Amino acid sequence: MAAPLVKALLRCSDLTLGVRSAALRFPGLTQVRWSRYSAEFRDPLIDKEYYRKPLAELTEEEKFDRELKKTQPIKAAPSAHTSSVFEDPVISKFINMMMKGGNKVLARSLMTQTLEAVKRKQFEKFHAAASEEQANIERNPYTIFHQALKNCEPVIGLAPILKGGRFYQVPVPLSDRRRRFLAMKWMITECREKKHRRMLMPEKLSKELLEAFHNQGPVVKRKHDLHKMAEANRALAHYRWW
Amino acid sequence: MAASCVSCGAVVSRRLLLRPRVSLAPRQVLWKAAELQSVPGPQRAIAYLFPSGLFEKRARPIMKHPEQIFPKQKAIQWGEDGRPFHYLFYTGKQSYYSLMHDAYGKILDIEKHKNQLQAKGLFSEKNKTIDLIGSRWLIKEELEEMLVEKLSDQDYRQFVRLMERLLQSGAAEEEFVQSFRRSVTVQSKKQPIEPVQRDAQGMAFSTSEGKRKSAKAEAVVYEHGSGRIKVNGIDYLLYFPVLQDREQLMFPFHFLDRLGKHDVTCTVSGGGRSAQAGAIRLAVARALCSFVTEEEVEWMRQAGLLTSDPRVRERKKPGQEGARRKFTWKKR
Repeated sequence: MAAPLVKALLRCSDLTLGVRSAALRFPGLTQVRWSRYSAEFRDPLIDKEYYRKPLAELTEEEKFDRELKKTQPIKAAPSAHTSSVFEDPVISKFINMMMKGGNKVLARSLMTQTLEAVKRKQFEKFHAAASEEQANIERNPYTIFHQALKNCEPVIGLAPILKGGRFYQVPVPLSDRRRRFLAMKWMITECREKKHRRMLMPEKLSKELLEAFHNQGPVVKRKHDLHKMAEANRALAHYRWW
Repeated sequence: MAASCVSCGAVVSRRLLLRPRVSLAPRQVLWKAAELQSVPGPQRAIAYLFPSGLFEKRARPIMKHPEQIFPKQKAIQWGEDGRPFHYLFYTGKQSYYSLMHDAYGKILDIEKHKNQLQAKGLFSEKNKTIDLIGSRWLIKEELEEMLVEKLSDQDYRQFVRLMERLLQSGAAEEEFVQSFRRSVTVQSKKQPIEPVQRDAQGMAFSTSEGKRKSAKAEAVVYEHGSGRIKVNGIDYLLYFPVLQDREQLMFPFHFLDRLGKHDVTCTVSGGGRSAQAGAIRLAVARALCSFVTEEEVEWMRQAGLLTSDPRVRERKKPGQEGARRKFTWKKR
């Protein structure tokens, strides 16, 4: 309940430079979501190119941002985040979602095995194919991963809205991050539940990723089902008030 | 028994001139500090050993200034006839509304002045932006204290919006606006940089400490080296079999483009594998500050390498299963 209020205030308090603590604290509401950092701490920015830009190339806004950052305390960088070139935010998020019970080592190894399996399968196809088709076969596992997740993202979602004592499934637009989350969630649930008993996660996940890359497979079918439901409930769209 | 003192002639009790009898009941012996200066040796020693709370400056009771104890209150707002002094008394928040009214009046004056200049053709677009970075607006509590009135959140936000509008309309009322701003410290200056030391062979090195959860690390970074890292005497590849931990060790070096240029020897204890890696990362980043320019130190701070991570394990609460997880709700 407090979350949308807090979000609204965050938008309003953008006017006040750096003064967030007073605006966010309501007298009647106790803060439930708190952190060990106080309100002034900003998130760290880990991008080597950003810092190495020479002063002449910066716009007025960027210069202002830089000066402002010098007065703000910064949180510590999280332990899964480095300036390494091999790091990918989408892959890190996927690993975190696959993780069970805090076992990041296992989740990360499953991810690397999946990417290796994808790469192996594509290379087998590449060597078996004729030279004309070889140009069409994508072998980079990271591009396959990104494209597969993009193909699984739904465009529109359904929200249950209570009207007249009944819940109606109303088509609703989804934000970018909700779409990405749904794509990853569906992929992981699909691989955990709908498989042979002894099939391992990397094997199943690589198979699903390759199918999604070609716009086939159960995850993309689930996306299409959702779109069809939304299309069927078009008439209820006016129930939405936001 | 009174006799005159030899040196100053002051009348001194005979008891003082006698062999000093140290009594543990100071009520019986009342000495004045001024007189003791003239009395040599043992009397001064006794005054030193048994200071009297009545005369010692440092023994005075420490009390806060009355302004800090008693909150600021408003004086009576109306005269003998019952008529209030301030014209905005009946708004309920007279100081706040009069402040807003004055600020808006200033905005109108500035615009009128600008229009007059434009009419004469003397107006020039001078962008005199006031430096907003080193200062911040008063927070709501500070403003309430200044006006001696309670404000609501909407009032405060409206005030800040009006002040920003006043800033934008021109740099004419700078002092007025600055009276509502407080300075903010520049964070980068707070980072202590370790001095560079030299060991027996003349190699320059720098030592620093780091902490994460319950792990403590101490790192010695040598200025010239080939990228070898030794943790508790063991090579880092054997001590940290997990790739993520080794990435954390490499992070400060990679960020500053100094990957194979330093040697590190560190000791770490406590915590788990990820906490130890985080502690070493912090220690290495702090030690590297001594070999690197101030600008790069600021970059490291903004990338989050120089902040000690305050997150620790949250305690389990009674009536719950864990720190946040509640017991399963049963209807009956």
